[in-house]
Parts: sequence; C-alpha cells; structure tokens
Amino acid sequence: MGSKAGRSFAPIGRILRWGMRGRSPRWWMGRLVRNLLIWVALAFALFPALFVLGTSFGPTQSLSAARMIPLNPTTANYYTLLTNTAFPYWLRNTILVAGSTSILSVFLCALGAYAFSRFRFTGRRPALLTMLLVQMFPQTLAMVAIYLLLFWLGGYIPWLGLNTHPGLILVYLGGAMGFNTWFMKGYFDTIPRSLEESAMVDGASPFQAFVRIVLPLARPILAVVFIIQFITLYSEYLLASVVLRGERMYTLAVGLHLFLGDQFRTRWGSFAAAAVLGAVLILVIFYALQNQIVSGLTRGGVKE
Amino acid sequence: MTRLSGLLRTSAPQAVLKIAGLGVLDALALFWCILFVAQGNWLFLGLVSGGTLVLNVLALSRKSYPFRYLAPGWLFLILMVVYPMGYNVYISVTNYATGHYHHKEDAIKLITRREFTPPSPLSFSLAAFGTERELYAVLLEGEERRYVAFPDGTLSDPEEHELVDEDGDGRIDELDGRARLQGPALTPHLGQLQAIRIPYERGWLRMATLREFRKRLPQYVYDEERDVMVDQRTGMEYAAAEDRFIGPEGERLDPGWRVYVGLENYARFFADPRYHGAFLRVMGWTFAFAILSVAFSFALGLALANLLNDSQLRFRKLYRSLLIIPYALPAVISILIWRGFYNVELGLFNQILSNTFNITVPWLRNPFWARFSIILTNVWLTYPYMLLVSLGALQSIPGELYEAARVDGAGGWQRFRNITFPLLMITVAPLLIGSFAISFNNFTLIWLLTEGRPAVEVGARAGSTDILLSYAYRLAFEGARGNEWSMAAALSIMIFVIVIIVSGVSFLRTKALEDISGGL
Repeated sequence: MGSKAGRSFAPIGRILRWGMRGRSPRWWMGRLVRNLLIWVALAFALFPALFVLGTSFGPTQSLSAARMIPLNPTTANYYTLLTNTAFPYWLRNTILVAGSTSILSVFLCALGAYAFSRFRFTGRRPALLTMLLVQMFPQTLAMVAIYLLLFWLGGYIPWLGLNTHPGLILVYLGGAMGFNTWFMKGYFDTIPRSLEESAMVDGASPFQAFVRIVLPLARPILAVVFIIQFITLYSEYLLASVVLRGERMYTLAVGLHLFLGDQFRTRWGSFAAAAVLGAVLILVIFYALQNQIVSGLTRGGVKE
Repeated sequence: MTRLSGLLRTSAPQAVLKIAGLGVLDALALFWCILFVAQGNWLFLGLVSGGTLVLNVLALSRKSYPFRYLAPGWLFLILMVVYPMGYNVYISVTNYATGHYHHKEDAIKLITRREFTPPSPLSFSLAAFGTERELYAVLLEGEERRYVAFPDGTLSDPEEHELVDEDGDGRIDELDGRARLQGPALTPHLGQLQAIRIPYERGWLRMATLREFRKRLPQYVYDEERDVMVDQRTGMEYAAAEDRFIGPEGERLDPGWRVYVGLENYARFFADPRYHGAFLRVMGWTFAFAILSVAFSFALGLALANLLNDSQLRFRKLYRSLLIIPYALPAVISILIWRGFYNVELGLFNQILSNTFNITVPWLRNPFWARFSIILTNVWLTYPYMLLVSLGALQSIPGELYEAARVDGAGGWQRFRNITFPLLMITVAPLLIGSFAISFNNFTLIWLLTEGRPAVEVGARAGSTDILLSYAYRLAFEGARGNEWSMAAALSIMIFVIVIIVSGVSFLRTKALEDISGGL
C-alpha cells in the first residue's frame, strides 16, 4: 500500500520541484511580494492617466457621472472641445512658443558652448562661473520686473510687448541660456578636435568648422536639449500667465486652467479630452526618446 | 591663440564686405543718435550708442573673437535675466505699487489734468462737419466769439475757412466743403467728440451736451515754488509730503509718486502685522512642503528602484517605462487631473471613500487636507525622477562590495544601510538639493491645485497653502489692493537669498563643487 501511495504522489512532488526550479518557498514568497508591490505602484502611477483617457470618451460633461470605462463610448467631448472652445488656439500657441524658443535657444547655446569648449581667452573661467551663478536665480522670481519690462517695451515695439507671443519667447530665451550652455559644453569637450583642425588647415574658418563639423557631430545633444527645453516650456505656467491676456492668446497651461470654472462640475468631459490631446504629443516624444531624455534629465534635472 | 589662426586668413573681398556693412550700420546708428540727442531721449541714446560700440568691437577686435559666439546668447540672458534681477532689486527699495506708479512730475501732470465745471460756465453751441466716416471739424459759436476746432484740440479763426450758408437762414451748412452732421449722422462720431479737449484760457473747452461745449477749469493748480497743490473750488492746499500731496487734515490726494524707501519693504515683512503673520506662516509651510515632498518622493523612488534593480525580474524595462509615466505627462495637465480627483462632492476619491467606507474627506477645503493633497500630488509628480536617479546610482555600485559583505555575514538590511545608502547619497545628494529648490518654488503646483486656498481669514494677504513664491505672485498680480509691486519684489529677493543659503550650505557639504571646478 505504502509503495502504491508513494507512487501516486510522486508526480505531484516532481511537478512542484520542477515548478520551484530548485528555489526555496521563501524565495518564491519574496518574488510574489516584489511583484505585488510593483503592481500596486503601477496602479498608483497609471490611474490618473487611465481615468482621464476613459472619461474623455464618456457621454457626459459632468465630473460626477464620469466613469473610467464608459458604457457608450463617444467622441462627443472631443467634438465639443475642438469646435466650442479656444483649445485649438492654445495648442497651436504652445507649440509655436515652445518650439521656436527651443530651436533658437539650442542654436544660441551651441554657439556659446563652442566658444567655451574650443577657445582659450581671458575671462573664460569667470564667464563660465558667472553663467552658472546667474542660472541659480530662477527667472520666475523676477516676474514683476519682467512684466514691467515687457510693458515698457510694448510702448516702443508693440509686437514684443505684453500679451504677444514674441514677447513671451523673448522672456523664455533669456531663461534657457545658462544651464544648457554648460550642459552642451560638456558634450563638445568630448568631441575630438582633430577633425576641425584638419578642416581649418584646409582653409575653413572656426565658424565654418563649427557649422559643418561640430554641429553635425553634436546632433544627439542638440536633440536632447531641444526636447527637454520643449517639454519644460510646454508646462510653463507662471510667466505665461503674467505675459498673456485674452483667451485666444493663451498657451495650453494657462488655458486649461479655465476649465476649472465651477470646479469641473460641468466641463470635465471637455477637460478630459483636452488633457488627452494635450498630453499625447509629449508622451510620444518622451517615450520615443526615452533613454536620451532620461539620461539628460537625471544629469541636471531641468524639468520641473 | 594658434587655433584662431583661421581668422587671420580672411580673404580681401570678405574684409571689404565686412567693413562696408559695418560702415552702413554705424552711419545709421549715428543718424539715430543725433535724433535722440535732439529729442533728449538719453535712454535710447545710451542703448543705441552702447550697442553699436559693442558691435564694432566684436567685429573688429581680434581679441574679442570668442565673444562673437557668446554675444547673441548673452544678449537675451542680460535682457531677460540679469537686467530683471537688478530691476527687481531696485523696485524692492521703492514704494512702486498701485497709487504710486508714476514719478513726481507725471503724478503732478495727472492731478492737474483733472477738471471741474464752474457754476456759470462760458458756453458755445456746437455744429460738427465731416463725412459719414470722418469727423472734420467743429464750429463753436459763443455769445461774442466763433471758432473752428479740430479733433486734435487746435482752434482756428473762422475767417481762414470757407463757411457756406446755403439757404441763408443764419445756420452754417458747409465748412471747407464738408457737410454739417446732424441727428443720426452725428452718432458715429460721439466718442471722438467727447474726447476733444481744447486748451482755452487756463482751462479747457469740452463737450457737455449734444449741442454745447462748455469751458471747464482745472480743479488743481500746482504751485511750484511752495510745492503745493491748490484745489480751485475750495481753496484747500495740499502740501507735498514724501510720496504724495496731503491736505491740512491729512486728506490724501491720489495718485502719489514713486520714491526710494530703503529697506522699508523688507522690514514690513518682519514688523508690519499685515504682512508679518502671513510671511512667517507661509515660510514655515514652504519649508515643510519642500522637505516633505523631497523626503517622501525620494523614499518612494528609492524603494521602487530597489524593487526594479533585480536582474531576475521579468519585464523590468516595461515596468520602468510605465512607472515613470507621471514624469512623461505635462505637469500642468496632471495637476488639473488630480484637482478633479480631490473634488469634494464629485471627485473620484470621495466617491470611492463614501461608497466603501461611508466617509467624505474635505480634500482641498480644509487646511490640513489641502496640504496633504499638495504633498501627495507632488510625490506622484516627482517620484519617477527619484526612481531614475536611484536606479542609475544603484547600478553603478560595484557588485563585489555586496559579495564581500555577504561573505562577512551581513543581512539584506545591513547591506542596504552600510553599503547601498552611503554610496547612493554621494551621487544623489546634490540632486536632492536641486529637487528641494524646485519644490520650494513650485508655483505651478500650488496655483493650479489650490490657488493658495483655503483662506486663513477674511482679508488675509496669503492663503493657508500659499508658498513664498505664490504669496509674491498674489501681492503682485492678484491682490484686492491692486499691484503691490515693491512688496512682491522684496519678497522675491528674500526667496532668492533663502534658496541660495540653503543650497549653498548643502552644496558645500557635497562634492558637487569639485565637479563644477573640474568642468571648467
């Protein structure tokens, strides 16, 4: 009998041993807890985005009736958003302002970084240090002065004054200089000079060497600085709210605040649609270039 | 210097082109400068001449060659960071605010522009001439005199104009070929007519009714010698005090003007009860908010990094990508989503809580819960950064150290406390300080989530969740008392000093400074 019973239970033991793959139950418990914790963290990380995505396809504007998985999915909220609100202007303004600021600042910073990396001149060290120190002063702290400066400037050059996009770009350009120059200089230092030197022997000026040789080699860092800059400005609220007046001039950050009227009671649907459309561009960029952005951000932490 | 040798080989046509271009620019600048001297516009004279000088030095001096690369970026840096910094300091030592916008001369001009109608005013009947689109002129007829007045406020003699009375009824029907405007034809021009202000014998002629212009007198006359403003109706004299005109019994005449007040604005944050209480409370909360945010998000990020830092874990790349989603979403959007969750009646949190436990939490309505919500949201927003930073640092710790510890019989917690954490802090500490500084000034989070509310008491200058920066913003732009520019500027300077001291002290204790000097 005993041998029979032993025979009949043996396969279960073998399956169990195979399933444990030579690990102790304690190891498997650890495994389980680890995965559970990660799943809890995933839920915490993802639920706001999932909730908004779900409710954006819901049939109602009200927050109270918003359901994570809508019963009758419709695109009504998107239709209302795109036809009845100034959202298309906000998106366009944001891309315009953040995009042109980022392009210009990448070029200006690359110029400065090249000079710091390649030339040895009197005042180089103090200039570098000064730039870093100036950057310690957050531009937002000068909001009053910036407001009054743009107000004054607008008296002479109306298209650069308050409530203009070029005015806001001008403000952002100043704020983007210091750190990015420093960051790019570090990368330029790693590009060997031999290529430029041989080009210069062939008669190229330092500027031509910069444009034709250094810039193409530095493309990865230029892209990272551009993207980080773009993402940061995309969410900038304080200065945009100080400079811009009037619904159609707003950037996304300032405009979305308008949906808050009535504490979302009647406009959650439109807001959810706006949140999805507003976030999708940044999400795509972020995940497409995840590794570069992450390494750039963790080195300096520019994004707020 | 050898690296600049490329520059020495500028070809002849290029050099000629450069000199010619510079010459044209300088000539233009000179023309503008002469214009500015004639206008007495010293500010622009300085800007244009200074700018041209810099441009010439940059273009011509070989020594300044590297600065040609730096100048474009620095222009923006100086204009939008350095100059505003200085201007901010200047504003903070003045009384610049609503009611004190102007310099004294301008304030005097504004006050002396005010007018009143004397009891029996000189009056003129009015007839307007023009076309449907354009108002040409107004014919003013008084008891003794007639004038032709133009919309810009100038008067001229009717003799110089062609007046036509077609039907001979004594009414002028045409002036310089323009028809008389009557009834409905006059309506489009009413705004323009009302704005006409004709200087006339120590006063002004202004439109009083549809048929009449009346002479009005200046209400205040400035006596320059005694520095006194005299009210013409009552004869009351307002003497110039430090920053405004004040009457014999303390009556204040608005507007006042801008003066230097020294450190008075700063002192008010420490001595004036209207600002002092709010300042201390806000500063305490700002520190608590920044420290707790960094501590909790670092703890969460580090814990998750430890979970993910396991080579046997499946899908770790995917998990990492999904866990950093709060970092990939634009913060303004996430914050507003959270604000929806916190809604007391309709929000997701209270719906779940009331359905399962039958309780409701006054999320953003109660000071404690509002602060709790802010920190929770900020932890959600910032833990991915901590996760990424910690993960990078964990992976750079050499494995042999753990092997050695294991051989010595150290347990998991001991390994973490004695090896992982100290080594991690070397790389992470400077980044934590940076995070602290960012949280310290995270205006966007506060403003979009609570706007600094709930209010502490009616009329208080800051709400219970305001941080220093949002307090400054409120003083500058959102206050019920107009724009308190100078107070906001003084507060900004103090914020800067606090951040500098905190990060300076902590940076000195890390190796970050050596890294920077290594990069020079």
